[in-house]
Amino acid sequence: MKRHAQILLLVLSGLGLLHAALFSDLYLRYVKEGLRPQLIASGVLLLLLGMASAVLDRGREKGNGHTHGHDVEHGHDHSIAPRIAWLLLLPALSLLLYAPPALGAFTASRAAGKAVKKEKEFDPLPAASPVPMTLTDFTARVQQDRKQAIRGRSIKMTGFVTPAAQGGDWYLTRIIFTCCAADSESVKVRMHGTAAPPADTWVAVTGTSHRQGTLGTKSAAVILDVHRIEEISPPVNSFTDDLPLTPS
Amino acid sequence: MQKTDETVGVLGVDATTVPRAGADECRTPSWPFVTGIAVALCLVAVVAFTGISWLNHPAVAAWRTICLAITVQALPFLLLGTALSGAINAFVPADLFTRALPRRPALAVPVAGAAGVVLPGCECASVPVANSLIRRGVPPAAAFAFLLSAPAINPIVLTATAVAFPGSPAMVAARLLASLATATVMGWLWLWLGREAWLRPTVRHTGHQSGHSRWTEFRLGFQHDFLHAGGFLVVGAMAAATFNVTVPRSVLDAVSGSPWLSVLFLAVLAVVLAVCSEADAFVAASLTGFSPTARLAFMVVGPMVDLKLIALQTGTFGRPFALRFSTATTVVAVLASVLIGGALL
Repeated sequence: MKRHAQILLLVLSGLGLLHAALFSDLYLRYVKEGLRPQLIASGVLLLLLGMASAVLDRGREKGNGHTHGHDVEHGHDHSIAPRIAWLLLLPALSLLLYAPPALGAFTASRAAGKAVKKEKEFDPLPAASPVPMTLTDFTARVQQDRKQAIRGRSIKMTGFVTPAAQGGDWYLTRIIFTCCAADSESVKVRMHGTAAPPADTWVAVTGTSHRQGTLGTKSAAVILDVHRIEEISPPVNSFTDDLPLTPS
Repeated sequence: MQKTDETVGVLGVDATTVPRAGADECRTPSWPFVTGIAVALCLVAVVAFTGISWLNHPAVAAWRTICLAITVQALPFLLLGTALSGAINAFVPADLFTRALPRRPALAVPVAGAAGVVLPGCECASVPVANSLIRRGVPPAAAFAFLLSAPAINPIVLTATAVAFPGSPAMVAARLLASLATATVMGWLWLWLGREAWLRPTVRHTGHQSGHSRWTEFRLGFQHDFLHAGGFLVVGAMAAATFNVTVPRSVLDAVSGSPWLSVLFLAVLAVVLAVCSEADAFVAASLTGFSPTARLAFMVVGPMVDLKLIALQTGTFGRPFALRFSTATTVVAVLASVLIGGALL
């Protein structure tokens, strides 16, 4: 691989990272928020490396071939990069020109639901109606809260739509990851009583807990009877299980 | 994979001919350009005939997302690793490591394994660092112990494990012990059975040369190592993304019943999913149907052997090494997990 090609790869990779992490929020589709400083630093470093090579290595290519050719001990010429490096062009161009979307209904429909942590105690619910709640919290309340605080309460949650395999119900879904999209997990709550909106639509849903099994025990079904449903714009960081934003 | 093998072969066979091939490149169009143009033309043809809608098919889109996510997530750590490796190569005196480590290789192995605590971050960083350690005269057995232990026992990973398994400190201890044991046993195994011939010849050379600027050497070495490892990283990310998309997680529940099968199954899963070592504890915690020992095996095998790492090791040390080493490591890691998991969990 020639010097110009190496410079091109370094600069494009650097620009790709900077485009994703510094000039836009694209990186949030792929990796956790906390990685942003490292990504920006990597982008700057790659850009500098490419520019340094462009400025400092002029004429090195021809001269070096000879000196190193004689230098048997060295045997590892750094001015030639292996051809496999061309593959770096794919992520770089992908970030710059045609970034893939965040994970959605396809992944969620094939994943088993995330295990919800055992809570020892639940705080009293806020007095607001509807009560804004995360999908994880709702699941925990339905199956673990012995005081049954959510009985009869109107609850508001947001997420995207994952169609269920059969029946008229669908899932309100969030995909959560801890490091990058490869370790994603899904939190799903079954929605009952309305027709499913198109897959991957982001919606805010208001409703009450469906009565099936004993509330506050494992036998309770994590289902929401939907009363109201409205389409919302996708959140910037969709890979968290956040509370719905309530207009104040 | 054919192309990859060819590249490895060309690089590995006789490094002294490479500069001459490079000189030829200036005059005649070489095959990367021809292949590049051919691939570009094929892509243009496919896009012209079918449109780009297939790129947005849910499965293809998920594959692209996961592939890109693994690459983007690993790039900073790969840069850190190659920068460290370049710095060790250019700035560290050749005898520093040989003086710091015990003289007998059998003793140097556990010391190097325990030294893995100091390299924070993911497994991608450790491959180039181990390579530069070997170039600087560290016995390969000790460098491999470091390579295996560093991604598994550093404070960030152990903290993540403690957070993912609240209330079971035994899991953190078991992970630390099983990973250290595997790294040490693998180092000793290399002393006993390993052969230099399996390693790519180029790794025995370089280092600082008198008459060359150290900074230029650092920059060129860094650039070369990064481009090289980066290409292999993309190969590994593609393979891992393929498994990630084609193996639905819900299949897992079917295997979780049998204790022996489940250990082996999760070990294989760790290899094909290539989850970053900082996050694998959370994935392990979510595999609730499996026994603690099986989940321990997932966390011990994952940082030491996965598709991304096999690709990186193939690029750095050569294919004969990568295949033997990864197979042996998987076996040792599973045994260590079963023994230590059985005792502690």
